[in-house]
Amino acid sequence: MSNKRKRKDIFLQAITYLASSVALIILMMIFFFVLKNGSGLINFDLLTSDYHAKFYNGGTEVISDDISFSAPNDLAEDAYFSNHWGIALKNAKDKEGQAVIKVEFIDSQSPLNELYDKNNPDNTTFSLKEGQVVSMIKFHDKASALSVQGAENMINQLNEANEFREIVFYSSGGGIRGSIITTLYTIGLSLLFALPIGIFTAIYLNEFAHKNKITQIIRQMIEMLTGVPSIVFGLVGLAVFVPLTTRYTPATSGNILSGSLTLAVILLPVIIRSTEESLKVVPDEFRFASLALGANRTQTTFKVVLPSALPGILTATLLAIGRVIGESAALIFAIGTAIKDDISIFGKSTTLSVHIWSLLTDEPANIELASTIALIILIMVLILNMSVKLISSRFMKPFN
Amino acid sequence: MKNNVFTINNLNFHYGELHALKDITIDIKQNEVTALIGPSGCGKSTFLRCLNRMNDLIDNINIEGNIHYHEDNIYSKNYDVINLRTKVGMVFQKPNPFPMTIYDNIAYGPRCQGLKNKAELDTIVESSLKKAALWEEVKDRLRKSAMELSGGQQQRLCIARAIAMEPEVILMDEPTSALDPVATQKIENLITELKENYAIIIVTHSMQQAARISDQTAFFLMGELIEHDDTDTLFTNPKEESTEDYITGRFG
Repeated sequence: MSNKRKRKDIFLQAITYLASSVALIILMMIFFFVLKNGSGLINFDLLTSDYHAKFYNGGTEVISDDISFSAPNDLAEDAYFSNHWGIALKNAKDKEGQAVIKVEFIDSQSPLNELYDKNNPDNTTFSLKEGQVVSMIKFHDKASALSVQGAENMINQLNEANEFREIVFYSSGGGIRGSIITTLYTIGLSLLFALPIGIFTAIYLNEFAHKNKITQIIRQMIEMLTGVPSIVFGLVGLAVFVPLTTRYTPATSGNILSGSLTLAVILLPVIIRSTEESLKVVPDEFRFASLALGANRTQTTFKVVLPSALPGILTATLLAIGRVIGESAALIFAIGTAIKDDISIFGKSTTLSVHIWSLLTDEPANIELASTIALIILIMVLILNMSVKLISSRFMKPFN
Repeated sequence: MKNNVFTINNLNFHYGELHALKDITIDIKQNEVTALIGPSGCGKSTFLRCLNRMNDLIDNINIEGNIHYHEDNIYSKNYDVINLRTKVGMVFQKPNPFPMTIYDNIAYGPRCQGLKNKAELDTIVESSLKKAALWEEVKDRLRKSAMELSGGQQQRLCIARAIAMEPEVILMDEPTSALDPVATQKIENLITELKENYAIIIVTHSMQQAARISDQTAFFLMGELIEHDDTDTLFTNPKEESTEDYITGRFG
């Protein structure tokens, strides 16, 4: 008997150990996959640069014969340096495996820092930056230096010249600046709509509403909304908010505004629920004390109850932000899937999550960049969750 | 002969089916401490909450009879409850300062009445804390959270908060039951001082406390007011047998 019991004990315990380790291993594998594939691309340029390659046609003034630069000490060995122009070029391969010439280094005094726009001669200037790809340099009195001829040829040609007719180059793209801005816009806009409505609804339900059938039904409907898959909300966004915004704003298709409105609808039940929870935690003693001092219900709610519930509401807000960052299904319909660099509230674009979706549905799928974005999202959500923990441990103390 | 602040006639109170107060008739006088004693569930707290209409917050109640605050029936239709509560302050069983600064706690009531003048608020805060014998202990940390005070200090803060409204009556619902003997002593001394200016009605489970601090004592049992008399008379020479049983500790 006791042996049998022991075996049962061990068996059940083993199952719990096994289950926990499986869960842990799966989570770790996801994290490692993302880290392994994505960490290579992570750098500040990725966050600040455009996704789409941008082409430049630049011209320059004649420079004097005696200008000379010296190469930096840490210049890569396979890079070629031009003493005369203060620039280092390097043979490289782009994402499709084509041979290109990349800018490895550019001196801060180099004349190439101030190029005027050949296509738009009214004084707009731009500069050649490290990492950009030079496709050709056209000279006045000799043949152009092309990228197929290699970096060494281009440098030699440059060194012999005091001027050139035109330099054609492009930024390599693949940055996620646009998606980051869109994500920030959608967070801000959706909270702008959802927070006031959600908080005031929660206040009504918890502080003012009588406990009867109708409030019971309202509460159950809100509860139900939290379980609705987000693709259904996406449908609502497509059917309601996209036509609405295209009608009353300059937008012509799915846009950030309609996406944010859709997200606001998704967030509403989340915010109402968690705000109500945090209002419930506020002890009734506070309400009684306030009322006994001759305050009316509204004063009691807004001067005593709401401030006490603020940490909870802040937590709800952070969780909502996490939800916005993570949402993709609803936004595919409501914002669109076109990755953009110039962000307008009334224009199409992608949030970080939808950016991943777009990258993976491309042909061929860009797994590396997708993993990098996934890593960024993971880090953001991690930070949010830690802030939630911090807030609730720091500010919820007075009630305990 | 002192004036009545409260005149209660044939008060009946129902929580749903439960008949919690039965035909209560009692007068509460100015500048006296009235102690309400009786076993748990006898209706003394319910009675106390009737006096500032805190029972209104509970659903499914029914009140008959009338309570006159001075001349006015506080349960008449158009009676201004907010005004009543500024005149009849309340201190609860558990110290319940708001999670704000000490200053804001005291200034809360006056501010809710629309007082914004900082100098006036300062004066009110200082005088209320002085009357509640708390000024010396907290004058250097008025801007600190009231949650940092000890239990006894918190309860005196709650008394100061009630005093800040310049009420006429202070209702106290077992104000010392959550406090240690030293803090209890301080509150009792305070109550004795306060009755110079206020009528105080205190619910207590401690017979000694009732005997020490009150002028009048009312004994409640099963929702009925069994006996109401001068404290000395009631404790030394009770008219009813059940009163004697209770104060001598034979039950309850």
